[in-house]
Amino acid sequence: MSSHHEPIDKIMLGDQEILKSDLLTLNMGPQHPATHGVLRVEIKTDSEIVVDAIPHLGYLHRCFEKHAEHLDYRGVIPYVDRMDYLGAMSMEWGYALTIEKMLGTEVPKRAEYIRVLVAELQRIASHLVYFGTYGIDMGAFTTFLYCFQDREEILRIFEELSGARMLYNYIWIGGVWNDINDDQLTRVKNFVDRFEPELHKYHTLVGQNKIFIERTAHVGILTKEQCLDYGATGPVLRGSGVNWDLRKNRPYGMYEKFDFDVVVGRGEKGTTGDCWDRYYVRIFEMFESIKIIRQVLDGIEEGPVMGKVPKIIKVPAGEIYMRTECPRGELGYHLISDGGKTPYRLKVKSSCFTHVSMLPIIAPGQMVADLVASIGSIDIVLGEVDR
Amino acid sequence: MHDELASKLSSLVSTSSAVAHMATLGDSNVTVESVSILEVCRALKSEGFNVCQCITATDYADRIELTYILADFTKNLELLLKTNVPRGDGNGNNKDTLPKINSVVSVWNGANFLERECYDMMGINFVGHPDLRRILTPDDWQGYPLRRDYIVQEKYLDMVVNPPAKINTEDHMFGKKLREEIGDPKKVSVSWKDTSGDPIAEEEAKDGE
Repeated sequence: MSSHHEPIDKIMLGDQEILKSDLLTLNMGPQHPATHGVLRVEIKTDSEIVVDAIPHLGYLHRCFEKHAEHLDYRGVIPYVDRMDYLGAMSMEWGYALTIEKMLGTEVPKRAEYIRVLVAELQRIASHLVYFGTYGIDMGAFTTFLYCFQDREEILRIFEELSGARMLYNYIWIGGVWNDINDDQLTRVKNFVDRFEPELHKYHTLVGQNKIFIERTAHVGILTKEQCLDYGATGPVLRGSGVNWDLRKNRPYGMYEKFDFDVVVGRGEKGTTGDCWDRYYVRIFEMFESIKIIRQVLDGIEEGPVMGKVPKIIKVPAGEIYMRTECPRGELGYHLISDGGKTPYRLKVKSSCFTHVSMLPIIAPGQMVADLVASIGSIDIVLGEVDR
Repeated sequence: MHDELASKLSSLVSTSSAVAHMATLGDSNVTVESVSILEVCRALKSEGFNVCQCITATDYADRIELTYILADFTKNLELLLKTNVPRGDGNGNNKDTLPKINSVVSVWNGANFLERECYDMMGINFVGHPDLRRILTPDDWQGYPLRRDYIVQEKYLDMVVNPPAKINTEDHMFGKKLREEIGDPKKVSVSWKDTSGDPIAEEEAKDGE
């Protein structure tokens, strides 16, 4: 569908120019459901063909990094939640790891297990939002209802665990806030047992659907070279056929103990790196997450959930860059400390920000409707883009 | 790895004078001269650092420190490349008064948005950048928010920025307390303008309540 199209400059009758067509500038967003938040994409179109797309960011900019400079280390965590509000647990974990590495804190085994458990549940919840809203982008409303029903179950477990549905403040420096009880573990077990066959059903329902394949295969292709050049990570990079997952390549937490596979796009329905491949990677990552959750449920040990952390956290002077694998890609925290109570500088490397910067290379030559498919497939959360 | 890289860089790019700083805690880095940043980045890319993860800047009292976080996905390496530039004048919205450094967009395309963010937040003029505009704040915004001496402009397009009624005074007091405790204003980053002793601002604050 994404045929390359020469823009028509003029229509000639003999040597005489009779009709001159110009490019039409169209603003998609900031209040547009297909941009999944407040992103404005300035599109230049020649009839239905997109010639250029320029993303305009900053509608959700809160300058988190400035806030962090005058908050104590524990006080940063609720702010971190609000970056990627669909993957808050993973955001917290990355931050906690950064500080723990500098402090040399040892996190108890049980807390590590709980962290993996909630992070993987969060990954499923986040991918379900992607899947549901992507269905709507493609004109299939049913997936949305299915996915949000399942996501609700995860959010209820989280609510019981942490007291909040989306912005948890659950993973603390040194461990987790609250212990998980057997009842909750049973609920998680029941959920994955019920969810796994359902997910197979969704994949058959949507992923093998002729219309869905027509809309996504060969659309929004990102090659391996482009992805590395722009620094894309996460499902976008894996969708383009690069076997790179921080949980395998630079294991943190307890990931080296668990057995799971890295899902890589192979161009099964179209070209490697198209929208269908990114869809495929996310769906099968959910199966891998279920695998990890099962192993956590089998292996979880009794014990404390909070390590020894000083009452007033003072990170020794130095700097660190810590990367973790979040649902949307790599999240990096670059912390510079001068030994005080607050971070001297805390920079967040957001994967969504990088992915938005790739829109100008995906868009040219696409139909406007395919651009919607492409934006949906890179799965951005504007809270993380703008920070 | 850092020592080897630093000596290699010094031999490849003569102006770089690369030095490896080994840290006992956290991450080590390689520091180079800012004039040679483009050549250094080209050399590093041919060494295998194929991904530019992040470009960030830190404001110190006497200089701005730029950190290029690079990664090698084939050998699974990570490098913090540092360089220092003078602070320049970060008031207003004038690119000419800002510190200058060569852009590395020609090496990694991903640097495009990262450098724009760095320019927007810290006020660094990346020479040779194809499209150096502000990215997170509006184009006509005054000042560079992540600098430590930044003060929020009072009015933007006839709208009052941070009307007193909406300012979180607890934050303000926290900053004030910190400033008193530490005693060095450059070490404390508080954006909000101190209104104590300013009769007009105090009155505005009363109106807001």
